[in-house]
This record gives sequence, C-alpha cells and structure tokens, in this order.
Amino acid sequence: MPSESKHTLGTFEHALENLRNNVMMMASQTERSLNRALKGLMAIADDEEIDQLEKQIDKDGIELLLRFQPVASDLRRVVSAMKLSTNLERMADQATNIARKARKLNKHPALPEILLLTPMQEHAMAMFRDSVDAYVREDAQAARAIIPQDDALDKMNAQVSRQLIDRMARDPEQLRGYINLMFIARHLERVGDHATNIAEDAVYAAAAEDIRHQQVAPTPA
Amino acid sequence: MVVMENEEITHPAPPLELQKPPELEPRQPIMINVDDVDFCYGAHQVLFDVSLEIPPRAVTAFIGPSGCGKTTLLRCFNRMNDLIDGARISAGRVRLEGRDIYAPEVDVVDLRRRVGMVFQKSNPFPKSIYENVAYGLRVLGVNKKARINEAVEKSLRASALWDEVKDRLDSSAYGLSGGQQQRLCIARALAVEPEVILMDEPCSALDPIATAKVEELIYQLRENFTIVIVTHNMQQAGRCSNYTAFFYLGRLIEFGATSKIFSNPSQRQTEDYITGRFG
Repeated sequence: MPSESKHTLGTFEHALENLRNNVMMMASQTERSLNRALKGLMAIADDEEIDQLEKQIDKDGIELLLRFQPVASDLRRVVSAMKLSTNLERMADQATNIARKARKLNKHPALPEILLLTPMQEHAMAMFRDSVDAYVREDAQAARAIIPQDDALDKMNAQVSRQLIDRMARDPEQLRGYINLMFIARHLERVGDHATNIAEDAVYAAAAEDIRHQQVAPTPA
Repeated sequence: MVVMENEEITHPAPPLELQKPPELEPRQPIMINVDDVDFCYGAHQVLFDVSLEIPPRAVTAFIGPSGCGKTTLLRCFNRMNDLIDGARISAGRVRLEGRDIYAPEVDVVDLRRRVGMVFQKSNPFPKSIYENVAYGLRVLGVNKKARINEAVEKSLRASALWDEVKDRLDSSAYGLSGGQQQRLCIARALAVEPEVILMDEPCSALDPIATAKVEELIYQLRENFTIVIVTHNMQQAGRCSNYTAFFYLGRLIEFGATSKIFSNPSQRQTEDYITGRFG
C-alpha cells in the first residue's frame, strides 16, 4: 500500500524521485541496447553507460538509506530500485553477448533459421517492458501476471534448441552459425529470467510481498 | 533481426494463481487489557474508545504525533493520572492480569510497585546511588541490610550499571552522567520487582551512546518484564519493540507486530506517519 501523498521532508522526496528517474533511464537504455543488439548494431559503449548508471543508483540508494532511514513503502522503493538496477545491468550484459554473436553471424551470409528466434525475441522484450512498466506504475497485479510467462519462454528456448540441433545434423557446414543462434536464444531466455526478477521486485515494492521461489503448478505441455 | 512468424513456437501459458500458506498467529496471555477507554482532562476528551491488549514479556511501543494521547494512556496503566485534577477515565476500563486497576479496592501504592515508571528526564533523588535504588524497598518496609544489599546489586546489574558504579555506591547520584542517571532510574524501578515497566521517552535527553545502552537494556529486560515505551523516535521503536501501537488524535489507529507496522502497515494513516508524510 505505497503512499501517494507528499513527504514532509522535501529533500527525501527529491532524492527518491531522482533514484527512480535513474532506474527508468537505465531501463530505457537497456531496452535500446537489447533492440540494437538484436539488430546487430550495438556498440560496447552502450553497456558502459549502463554500468555507470548501476553504480550511481547503488551509491544514491545507500546514501538515501544512510541519511533518511526510510521505512515501509519508502524503504521498499529504495531497496527495489537497487535490486532493479542489478537486474537491468545483467540484461544489458546479455545485450552485449547477443551483439557479439550477431556480429559473428553478420560476417557470413544470413541463415534462414535466424527467424526461429523471432517469437522468443518478441516474448522476452514484452516481458522486459511489462515488468518495468509494472514497477514504474507500482502495479502488483500486472507484475504477478508476468511470472508464469517465463515458463513459456523457457519452453520456446528448448524448442528452438531442438530445431537447431536438428539443422546441425542435417547441415554440419553451418555448425558455427547454428551454435551462435543457440547462444542468442539462451541469452534471450536469461533476459526473461531477469524480467521475472524485476516483476518479483515490483510486487515487493507495491504490495510488500515476497513471491520469489514459490512453487507453482507446472504449465500443461 | 528480421521478424517472422514461426508456427511451431508454443504460446505463453495463462497466468497461474499463486498459493499462499495461511498465516497462523499463536494466542498469547495478556498482561494489560485496555477496554474501550475514553479519557478526559476536565471537559476535554483526549482518548476515544481505545482498546488494546499488551502481551507479557515483550516491548510494546506507543508512537504518534504530539498530543495524540500516547503518554496519557501510558499514565493510565499505573494511575499516574490520578495526580492531575479533573483527569479521569470517563468510559471503559484498564485491567492488569485481568483485574480492573481502577476498582475501589485496589491499593494504588501496590499497583505502582507492580507497574514501575521511568520518565523522559532522569529524576534521581538527591541521595547516594545506593540509597536511590534502595528507596523503594525502604518505602515498602524492607529494613534488612542484607536483603537491601542484594536487591541493590541485582537491580544495578540488571540495568547494566553495576560495573560502572560498584566502587562509588555512596557517591551522590547527581555525579553520574545523564545516561547513567537514566539507567539508575531504571534500576530504582527494578528494585521493587515490578511486572510492568512504563517508559515515557526514556532516551529523549540522551546522547547516541547512552541511548544505545538504554536500548540494549530494554532489549535484555524484556525477557523478564513487560515493557511499554512511548517514543517519538521511530527508529528506536523499530529497534527495541516487539509490538507497536500508532495513535492519532486520541484514537488507536493500528496495533500489531513492529516488523509488520514498519514494513507494511495496514492503515494509510500509519504509513503516512511513519514515512514522515504528516505529523
């Protein structure tokens, strides 16, 4: 039940707002990095900028805890911002990994199997956008809805891997390319894991509930 | 990457309902029951329909903005308000271990032995350290030197002051630092073996080190005593107490486990107060 009214201490309000703005900026840069990486355009410099933002958010978060000792929803907002930045930084690392593989793929004639990854890419990016959106809007219900989506992404990854292994057996000359595609699928699957973490942190921030590591019924095959 | 449909890919499953285990709260015996209490200073009502159950051997903190009635309620527990003209409980009752403490047959001196009090400003008597602690026992008619010696040492040890004063028990209590004087007042309260200790902002005049020592003492005392503490220091309530009650404009807004109140209060007013949004 996060409070919406203004804090008596304007300096705290300002510091908290600044922290959240940095998280949102980091999220938008991470999204841009992922999109550019998937197009094979990303420069490593993009990742460095995100790394610096992660350090800044950590520094600001610690200073906020130290100076204001926030409680209740204020404390959850600070803690979740710091946890979010760690997940965003790891997503940006995945973007760098994808960019490297994409560059390798781009050196050779395009493989038609690259299209197998498209649904995974769309699904992972939707999970990413929805989780950040749920965090920004402090919408626990929307955040909860993201958790089961990770199962679907895992299944997509398993299916793409099977298809690529099949192609490898049939066309060993393109082995290197298929392996790079499998790596990209794996990186997209990791993006989904981080989006799930962000959704869990969004539930914690909005509803003070820790939903991590809960047993859920298996999704029907 | 070029976008293309792939019909073999599984579509996302619908969201699953997460199972939450039921929360079980064990029943506890109650040390102090506050039943629908209204309190007035003359014609001015300051408490409205307050009901509360204070568990034994735990620290309960009362928080709220100035004038919310938390100190008034605390002073009801050992009838300190009887000393103020026109101050009275106009409705409801307060029970200690089930017995109404405002019943005509209640001996107020005995009640105040059972329910001790430590005030905002330390108030040692103009006597030696030893005599300060022995005072309550002498009032109760204990004269045996050995019995008093034993009680003084036990109380000073329990209030974590013994090692600092054991070599100067006959010195004036006024020679002690502010923090030591406050712990001496706690020792004085402990000497008569109370069941409940009421503390009205016991650290508000102390420096951080002295505050830490008193808080550590409160933490240790809760194993044997029921402690009710009024504090304006939110962090102190969070550190020392097991339960917290939030009052606003004479009403009890929320009462519950301190960890719950400070992490996820149920009431918007509590949330706004503890996060500094009003008050």
